[in-house]
Amino acid sequence: MSKVLMKGNEAMALAAIKAGCEAFYGYPITPQNELPEYLSKHMPLYNRVFVQAESEIAAINMVYGAAGAGARVLTSSSSPGIALKQEGISYMAGSELPGVIINVMRGGPGLGGIQPSQADYKQITRGGGNGDYYLYSLAPETLQEAVDLIKESFDIADYFRNPVMIAVDGLIGQMMEPVDLDREVPKWDLKPKTWIADGNTKNRKKNVINSLYLDPQDLEDHNMKLKEKYDEMRANHQRYEFINMENAEIVIIAYGSVSRIARSAIEILSEKGIKCGILRPITIFPYPKKAFSKLPLTVKNLLVVEMSTGQMLDDVIISNERGLPISFFGRVGGIVPEVEEIVEKVLEIVGGEKHE
Amino acid sequence: MKRITIISGHYGSGKSEISVNLAIQKKIDYLVDLDIINPYFRSRSLDKLLEENNIHLVESTIKGMTGSDLPYISGEGVVPFVNSNISAIYDLGGTENGVRVLIQFLDRLKDINEIDFLCSVNIFRPETSDAKKILQTISMYEAVTQLKVTGLINNTNLIGETTEEGIIEGERILLEVSKKLKIPIVYTVIEENSKNYKYKFLGERLELTRYIAKRWL
Repeated sequence: MSKVLMKGNEAMALAAIKAGCEAFYGYPITPQNELPEYLSKHMPLYNRVFVQAESEIAAINMVYGAAGAGARVLTSSSSPGIALKQEGISYMAGSELPGVIINVMRGGPGLGGIQPSQADYKQITRGGGNGDYYLYSLAPETLQEAVDLIKESFDIADYFRNPVMIAVDGLIGQMMEPVDLDREVPKWDLKPKTWIADGNTKNRKKNVINSLYLDPQDLEDHNMKLKEKYDEMRANHQRYEFINMENAEIVIIAYGSVSRIARSAIEILSEKGIKCGILRPITIFPYPKKAFSKLPLTVKNLLVVEMSTGQMLDDVIISNERGLPISFFGRVGGIVPEVEEIVEKVLEIVGGEKHE
Repeated sequence: MKRITIISGHYGSGKSEISVNLAIQKKIDYLVDLDIINPYFRSRSLDKLLEENNIHLVESTIKGMTGSDLPYISGEGVVPFVNSNISAIYDLGGTENGVRVLIQFLDRLKDINEIDFLCSVNIFRPETSDAKKILQTISMYEAVTQLKVTGLINNTNLIGETTEEGIIEGERILLEVSKKLKIPIVYTVIEENSKNYKYKFLGERLELTRYIAKRWL
């Protein structure tokens, strides 16, 4: 199929349909409303389930139920709504249920505002609910990448039997961009879902979907089993992109919409004689720690740019094995960093323009 | 150009960018932003630019609430309907509910011939990819407003990936609509970076500067 022009929220919704998503449960919130709106129109056309639940808490528990019954299931929301869903997400991870959660982030804390933000980074990457668990978390920067990753994310969730989070900011949800919905994406090697609670018509051993383990030894064993999955994600499934990294003297670390702005900034910097690269995390859990050992030796400075007061910054500090000086620039409250602001910050760090 | 131009179209059909460009190029008095559907990328975000161009912006009644998605707009939107010295562009929201906002002003309308009700179309939007779908969209707008759509805007584009052939294909599909409804293609939108397109497109060539979506978007 050729390209069409779509709004981010619509494109993400259609990507889920293309991935074989069988059920959606959600509750409205700006700036992701076009996503459920699109699915409410289109899911019935594919004979699939769309439910607008009475609340976010109801929605995530419906996701839990549908996943337990073996369906490919999706929910979406924006920051305050995702916060409400944390209990259910923790239960899903504890019960080893796959599912895809899209968070179109807006400013916080509390009700915050409706403009774009990346301030849910820690909630997403540290697990926002109780217990030792993580979500495989993907942070696309374009609509095409969002579409491709969402199509793959249902496989990833099934493979790990763990929820996958798609972390985008409001801009990705609201912007328009040409996309190809039918691009091939990697297929994961999936085993049949023999663990689902599907009525047990063949009288096999009973399947139980549960996160309650009252015997401490059982619970420790269960936690260790979960940890193995997260260790495998960390060891083998980090994703990132290097942009303009050859001979870079300074590297901007940014994900999602902010890396788009950084791309414009490095063009201007190049005209000013500054070799600036970008390290763009695509997975924010697992954090692409491996990228830091591959940075060229020419790199003398790191600059983290986020739409938060400095959340991914902590992961950069943890991953900075060469001990490079780290600077930070962030805008919050729904204000998007300007290209010029990033350029200025880089110039400040490297000591001004360089002309041969 | 008639005194009042109302611009409709699915979201993503370029209504707001077209409204702002037309208002500036044609030196229009009022730009009435009736978009209660989109939370981002609305013409009201360009209040300073419009002021510099002496265009009076009508938006929500509470100033400075750019982060509000409450569905209200100022009653001042009626002014061009009652004062025939004022030229205006009305920028509607994309959906059925977005168009409905206009109805409150229509009973003040004195002369229907003073109004152009245009529908902006981009054939690369899946909802308006062929003549049948465009006709459905137009009849939905007409049913909601009880106003006849009087003209079409060919805004076929894929942002940075637009081609001349794409716009020509848009024109071919819009011509089917145009013939069926007996309404003209009033404008063809050409972005600044496509100025060298040689093809003689139907309607006036509207050279468009993207004011609302920044370059990196």
